[in-house]
Formats: sequence, structure tokens, C-alpha cells
Amino acid sequence: MEESTSMYCNLGILEKLNDESVQEIIESYNGFCATTNSLLNGGRDIAVGKEFVTHVRSLCKHGLQSLAHDHFLRSLEETFEKTFVSKFWRHFDVYNKVAVLEKNKPLIYDDEVLEVLCKALEEICMEIQYQEKCLFMLVHAIESPRDCSLEGKPILESKVHLFAKYQLMVSSVLMASLPPHFPEMLYWYFKGRLEELSTIMDGELEDGNDSQDKDDMDLDEKGKQRTGEMDIDQSNNHGKFSEKSKLVKHIGKVVHDLRTLGFTSMTENAYASAIFSLLKAKVHNLAGEDYRSSVLEPIKAWIQFVSQAVPLQFLNALLAYLGESESYDSPTAGLKSPLASRPLRCPGTRNPSEGLVRWRLRLEYFAYETLQDLRIAKLFEIIVDYPESSPAIEDLKQCLEYTGQHSKLVESFISALKYRLLTAGASTNDILHQYVSTIKALRTIDPTGVFLEAVGEPIRDYLRGRKDTIKCIVTMLTDGTGGNPNGSGNAGDSLLEELNRDEENQENIGVDDGFNIDDKQAWINAVCWEPDPVEADPLKGSRNRRKVDILGMIVGIIGSKDQLVNEYRVMLAEKLLNKSDYEIDSEIRTLELLKIHFGESSMQRCEIMLNDLIDSKRTNANIKATIEKQFLAGSELGEEGVSLGLLDATIISSNFWPPMQDEALIVPGHIDQLLADYAKRFNEIKTPRKLLWKKNLGTVKLELQFDDRAMQFTVAPIHAAIIMQFQDQTSWTSKNLAAAVGVPVDVLSRRINFWISKGIIKESVGTGSNDHLYNLVEGMVDSSKNGDNTGSCEELLGGDEDGERSVASVEDQIRNEMTVYEKFILGMLTNFGSMALDRIHNTLKMFCVADPPYDKSLQQLQSFLSGLVSEEKLELRDGMYFLKK
Amino acid sequence: MATVNGYQGNTPVAAPTTATAPKQPVNTLKTVDTQSVLKRLQSELMALMMSGDSGISAFPEEDNIFCWKGTIQGSKDTVFEGTEYRLSLSFPNDYPFKPPKVKFETGCFHPNVDIYGNICLDILQDKWSSAYDVRTILLSIQSLLGEPNISSPLNSQAAQLWSNQEEYRKMVEKLYKPPSA
Repeated sequence: MEESTSMYCNLGILEKLNDESVQEIIESYNGFCATTNSLLNGGRDIAVGKEFVTHVRSLCKHGLQSLAHDHFLRSLEETFEKTFVSKFWRHFDVYNKVAVLEKNKPLIYDDEVLEVLCKALEEICMEIQYQEKCLFMLVHAIESPRDCSLEGKPILESKVHLFAKYQLMVSSVLMASLPPHFPEMLYWYFKGRLEELSTIMDGELEDGNDSQDKDDMDLDEKGKQRTGEMDIDQSNNHGKFSEKSKLVKHIGKVVHDLRTLGFTSMTENAYASAIFSLLKAKVHNLAGEDYRSSVLEPIKAWIQFVSQAVPLQFLNALLAYLGESESYDSPTAGLKSPLASRPLRCPGTRNPSEGLVRWRLRLEYFAYETLQDLRIAKLFEIIVDYPESSPAIEDLKQCLEYTGQHSKLVESFISALKYRLLTAGASTNDILHQYVSTIKALRTIDPTGVFLEAVGEPIRDYLRGRKDTIKCIVTMLTDGTGGNPNGSGNAGDSLLEELNRDEENQENIGVDDGFNIDDKQAWINAVCWEPDPVEADPLKGSRNRRKVDILGMIVGIIGSKDQLVNEYRVMLAEKLLNKSDYEIDSEIRTLELLKIHFGESSMQRCEIMLNDLIDSKRTNANIKATIEKQFLAGSELGEEGVSLGLLDATIISSNFWPPMQDEALIVPGHIDQLLADYAKRFNEIKTPRKLLWKKNLGTVKLELQFDDRAMQFTVAPIHAAIIMQFQDQTSWTSKNLAAAVGVPVDVLSRRINFWISKGIIKESVGTGSNDHLYNLVEGMVDSSKNGDNTGSCEELLGGDEDGERSVASVEDQIRNEMTVYEKFILGMLTNFGSMALDRIHNTLKMFCVADPPYDKSLQQLQSFLSGLVSEEKLELRDGMYFLKK
Repeated sequence: MATVNGYQGNTPVAAPTTATAPKQPVNTLKTVDTQSVLKRLQSELMALMMSGDSGISAFPEEDNIFCWKGTIQGSKDTVFEGTEYRLSLSFPNDYPFKPPKVKFETGCFHPNVDIYGNICLDILQDKWSSAYDVRTILLSIQSLLGEPNISSPLNSQAAQLWSNQEEYRKMVEKLYKPPSA
């Protein structure tokens, strides 16, 4: 607007122009150009100033002040661009290559940078100051004639306008020619300064330790005060800070110069990132790889104590300096310039404490974020040693509360899991252990369980694909003593512990779940309600249903508790059958806990199994007592000192036990007699019940007596049966021995390995092509094999053969189930020709009601059927299954 | 030498006589409710499926366990070798006290089978006993194919031809239509 009106004026003036005035204008314009030139480019003769002013005034008189402006500004720009800028940048040219080449070792030329930067800045600022002076002169010259006619305001406006234009010009020229490595240089510069400051302050801290120790308590307060007051001369108050204040002043000058050049934001970026990197280094240094202690507090303290926090101190001093220098630097500081961008950019100059507080918040957030990122990146390790690393988890929790970047955690943790845990190389036990730790750890971070759900999903999916998952879970649940050799007893502990914990909570849960929560409780619940976190998946229901219950989540992996219970039954059976005493206290305890969790009815069979053991103990004692009486009554002891007293039986109700491995075995005659006697007594006591011996199960304790020594073993019945055959005959062919023991030859040769490995029996090739000869090693020549056991050695059969299980495993059971289904499927297809998947599924559901009933899903059936197709038992055409003929 | 020190933990199984024996036919019951018939048929089905007899099979239709479809293959070394016959079995509500009605669905050229598929077999009529089950019925019919009762024929043409096994075989092949899927 303003310009257009002045244009009008000009046009009006032009009409009135006469030769004389034209002449005058030309003259003064020429003079103006000449003086401008000499002012700016030439000898910088201030003396021409007077002449310059005269020319300008005369131009103004003719209403040509805009011409004067424009020309003057253009000349300024030209000069500035031509001489100063290129000169300025030339200072840094040297570093261009260096910066590219040695990005990683910038400190080498740090000092040089410092000097060059300062020098260059000083130089160019001098130029700018000079130019501004000239500009000021111009403004003065233009405005002074109008002094009387106009009030101060327009003067200011045009002045401000001019100066703003000039500043814009300066920064745009500089920006346009900015070499790419300059910001980086600034960054390294500030970093270097900051480190310097930090070292100085560290030194100070040590110096002032005595005094600080005294008033350590009010340190915080002091710091706050300092922040609040923002005493400009603060650093000067203490003599020992002089070195620092020099440094700060120096930096302040650089920053100020840079701002003069219009590099405000670039500068701020540079020192902000320098500060952040210092902070980051500090956080990394403090946090490190140690998860056993909380580091958040020290970091927070470090930020908050202004006297300790290098960055804040730095900023404090910097802002202070700038505030001071600005008021000092501009003589017209009284004039509040609305156009100046500085005050807006950095409120600190006007309201230092606010700026500082803002900075502190920024730093805090950054510290939280840094720590959080650090912890999230290492979350996997942290969770691996979870119970010990809980301080780190607590830190992370606080950080996340502050930053709200939970999704970052979920993403990064899931990818870490996929990469490090859910691989074929990780044992199921480890995965489960980690899963449990994850549950516990994330439960701390997020009690609502939303993130846990997201993180747990991949683990669960993966575990479902593992065959031994159920087995491992059951082991973890029951094996409180860490019975498995993989060293995951820890995990077992934790799950058993969970069971216990569950029991403790049982009562409370009972109240929660009950129908009749009284009004008061309902009100409390309503008041306590909190919305789910935003990240919650609405599809997954409200968190009331999302109780973070470890056992529930573990069972959730398997899908149904029935499978788990079944596996537990098998495991329990195995354990009970291998017991030689009737001590089942720990099993009873575990069972009681499981009953609480899974309900009485599902654990019924297990309970019967345990009752069998208890009954066995009683019955066993009873039988023995009666038989002993008979012995006392006069009958002679069993030959070779074997009496019924040495026989303990476990009597089971086979209907409620998992299927047993059945293997034929001929036990030596007198033992057989013993068993028969026992069975007879049982029958007498418990008519009409009869005993059916499972001769291949159980354990035998025996002692082998040689000429020179005796050895004790605890072995399976078959091993005992084998070795006893050598009592009368020291050499057997494999065929004969197999016949005597009543097992196939291949089983025999597998089992006899036990004795061969003990050095008691020697194997040699017999007469027949596939007949082996077994000899008893009498003299114990190769006793070296057994090491130093000269006398007796107690050997446990433990895991000498992996196929050695008394109870059919769950996998076997499933395989059996599947063969039942196969027969049904073949049966129905024989009679109906072809059937679709659905119909097979429904038919099985309806008619296959055997034990166990058909409980597979359509998908499971489909995969089973495709298995049959690939076995060429079935054919699949157009969605119909046929018998393969 | 080897001495047995102790023998323990050997695991005998107490066989409770009361708990088992679900498969024995329950003759004692005079009034039979549907539930026990269902159970009986289900256990028969299970037994049949698990028996693995070759050449005989049967399975309940869609949703009715009282109507079964059966399949019989002609035994080896008889004129019916290589043929397969579809049967229908329908069980009465008081099964197993009454025999099921069994018919050939596939046409069968046999002295004791009429053109409608009715079968003349003593155990399916007056000689029925509840000790029989689907499996024994199917096995009986399978053996009937190879050993017809010529004295009381339903199909007299077949009965006459039976003496000439070669001709009979040709006749069977000519009339045989494999059961449709």
C-alpha cells in the first residue's frame, strides 16, 4: 500500500519537474551513487558521509527516497555478496574435504575450526556492522528533513522496514551460498565447546565438593533459584567460574554472531543436537548394560541439578549472555521491533526462566526417550534375566509413561523375539521360560495387559506349532525341584510359584466372580473403572476378561485344559510307577493346586491314581504282614533268601491310568512264584479282585556278588531278568537268552547293552551268522571302564535308554485315536462311496463316540484326510473323498 | 554270583470284575429303552470298525443310527469273487431282541436272494439271537454267497444253475452291476 501511494506521488512530482530540478536530481543522484560506492566499496571513507547525506536529502526533496533506498540496498547486497560472503565461505573451504574424508574424526581439527570460525564470524560481523551503520546513516539522512512534520513513528517504521530488508538480504545471500558442510561444522563446534565446558565443570565439581557436601540438601533448591532468577552475572559471582564464563562468553559471541547472520535456527539446531548427543552419551554411560539398578533417578537428578547439568548450565549461560548482549548490542534496544525474529525464536532473551524451563523439559523428554530406546532395544536381554533386571523394567515403565511410545516397544520386542527366540534352535523350555518372564515383566509395565497381548501372540502361535510344548508346560508346572536337566528348573519354580500364588488369590477371585457382589463393591468397581489404553484392540474384548493370569495364558497356548490334564496324567503315571517308596506328598500338593485351577472333575482320574498309591501302600503292608505270619508259623524261607518282604507292589486301577507299555517278559521261576504268592494273598484279602502283574514295569534293586567284590544296581525288571540268567550259566547265545527271558532278540540285544556298558557282560560273535555270544565277565579285567568304583556302585537306570517309558505317551495316544478315525473313515467311505469333508466330519462327530470321543476341528480332520490321501488310501476329487481302489 | 536283593514296584493291575465288560450283550433286560439300543449299536459300530474283517463293512446313514448301509465283497474262490454288493440294514427299536431287516440294494443273482433283494437266511428270521451282531450278520451273508441253501430257493433259476459253476459265474458277471457310489 505504502509503496503504491508513494508511486503516485512520484508521478505527480514527475509532471512538475523542470529542467533545473532534473539537473539537480541527476547531479545529486550521481553524487549519491559515487558516495555510496565509496562508502561501501572504496576506502570506506566515513568522511564522505556528509556529502552522502546531502545527496540523499536532495533526492528526498524531490520525493525520490525510494530510489535511494533501492539503490543503496542493491549496492549493499552486491558488495556483500561479492566480497564478504565469498571471503567468509572461503575460510571454511579447507574443511570441506576434511569433513567429507574424516567425518569420524572431527576432533582433529576442532581447535582450528574454533579459531577459523571465530575469526570469520568476527570479520563478517564487522562488515555487517559497518553496513548497518551506513544504512543507519541513510535512514537518518532520509528522515531528518521530515523530522518536524512527522512524529517518531513513521521514522521507526521505515527504519525497521529497511533493517529487516537488510537482514533478510544478508541471510538469504548467505543461505543461498551455504556450503553443505557448514551445519555439521557448527555441530562439531558446539559439541567441542560443550565437552570443554563439561570438563571444566567436572573439575569445579571436584573443587567445590567440600562446600557442596555441606549444603547438598539445598542444592536442588539453589538450582531452582538460579533457574528462576536467571542472574545474568551469575557465572561472575563465583570467582572460580571465571574460566567457564570466558568460555561461555566466547560461545555466546559466536552464537550471537551467527544470529546476526540470520542462522538462528541452524545454530539452534546445531547446539541442540550437540546438547542431545552429550545427554545421550551421558545416559548411555549411566545406563550401560547393567539392568540390576535403576538409572532413571540419577539421570533425572543429573538433569535437574542445574549446577551439575552441563547442558543446562551451558544454556543458562548462553541465554543469559544473549539476553545481555542484545540489550548491549543494539543501541535502539528500547524500540521493540515486531519484525525481529529473534525474540520469537528464543523467548529466553525476554523471559529467560521460561526459556530455560522449556529447555529443561525438552532435555527431560529427550533423556526419557533415550533411556527408553536404549532399554527397548535391549528388552530381550532384560527379560532374559528378568527377576534381577526388574529395576530396568521399572525404569522403562516410567519412561513409557512419559513418552507414550508403547507401540515402539511392542514392535521392537516382537521383532527381537522372532529373530532371537522363535527359531528352531531355541528349546521349548527356553521359549516357555522367556514367555513367563515376558508376562511378568510386561505385567509390571502395563497392568492392563494390552501390550502383553500383542507381544504374546507370536510366542503363542509359535509354541502351538511345537510338539513338546504341552510336555514342557506340564514339567514346568509340576517339577518344582527342577528335575529336568536343561537347567530350566528356574522356570519350573516360577510356574509352581504361580500355582501357589493363584491359591492365595483364590478367595479374592471367588468374590470377584461371584454373582452377588454387593452394591458397595459394585460401586467401588465402577469408580475404579478406567478405559482401556488407546492401543487396545477393540476386537479382543474389554480388559475385565483380560486378567493377566500366567497360568491362564500358558494354558491358552495349548488351547484346552483337557490336553494339559491328559499330559499331566501321563507324566504323573510315569512318576508314580517309578516310585519305590509310596511317598507322594509333593504330588498330592501339586494335584491339589491343579485342582484349584482346573476344577475337581478334570483332575479326577489323577486323584484316583494317587489314591491307588495310597491304597497300595496299605494293601502292601497288609499282605506282607499276613505272609510273614505264615513264615513265622513254620514254612521255610524262599530259596536264596528271597522273601515276600522284599517285594513292594503298586496296585493300580488300570481303567483310570493311561495305557501302559506292555512287553512280554519271563521272570525267573522263584520270582514268578513270589509274584504268584503275592497275587494269591491279594485275592484272598480283596476278593473278588485279582492281581494282573505288569512284569515289565517297576524297578529291581540287586546286588551282584563276584569273587572279589559286590556291586549294587537299581534296574528295570528286564535287566534283572537278563542278568539272573547268568547266575547258573555264564555264557548264552543271543537266541537262547532271548527265549529264556521271553523277549525278541532285537529287544534283548538292546537291553543287554546296559550290562555290557557296565563291563559285566561281554559280547562276542557267535557261531551262527547273526547269533551273538554273551559271556559273564568274572574277573572284572576291564574294571578301568568303571573308573575307581572298587566296591559297590549304586547305579540308577535313569535315562539309560530313551525309549524306556512305562506309560504310553500322549503322542502315542493321539496316534491311536487317529487310527480309530481312519478306520471309521474307511468304513463310511466303503459304504457311501464318496463323501465331502463336512459330511465325514459330521458323521464322525455323530458315530465316533468311543473313548476318547471325536473332538477334532474341521481343519484338523482335513489335514488328517490329506495325510491319508498322500498315503494313497484315499482320493480327493471335486471336494469329495473316495476310497483309493 | 547274582543274588536278587529285592524286587519291588512291579506293577500288577487289579482287574475289578465289576467295572469292565461293557461289550457283553445285555440279555437280562426285558424292556429296552432307545438309549441302550443306541449304545449297543454304537459299540457294534466300534467293534466292526476295529475288527478289520476284510470284505465286509457297514456304517450308519447320515443321521439315523437305526439305518445302516453295508458292503459285502464276494469271497475268493467263489463265483462271486471280485463283485461287491451294497446292503441296507434297518434295526428295529427293540434290537437286539429282534433281528434287523437286511436287504440287498445291488441286484444279486443268488438262490437265496429274490429280485427285490430280500434274503432268505435263518439267522435273520427264526434263528435270530441277540448274541449276533452286525458283524456276524455280514459275515453270514458273505458266506451264504458261496454256500447257498439250494433246498429252499427264492430264485429257482439261480438254484438250478448253481450246479454248473462255470455257467453261473458267467451269469453273475452278466447281471452284475457294481453299486453306484
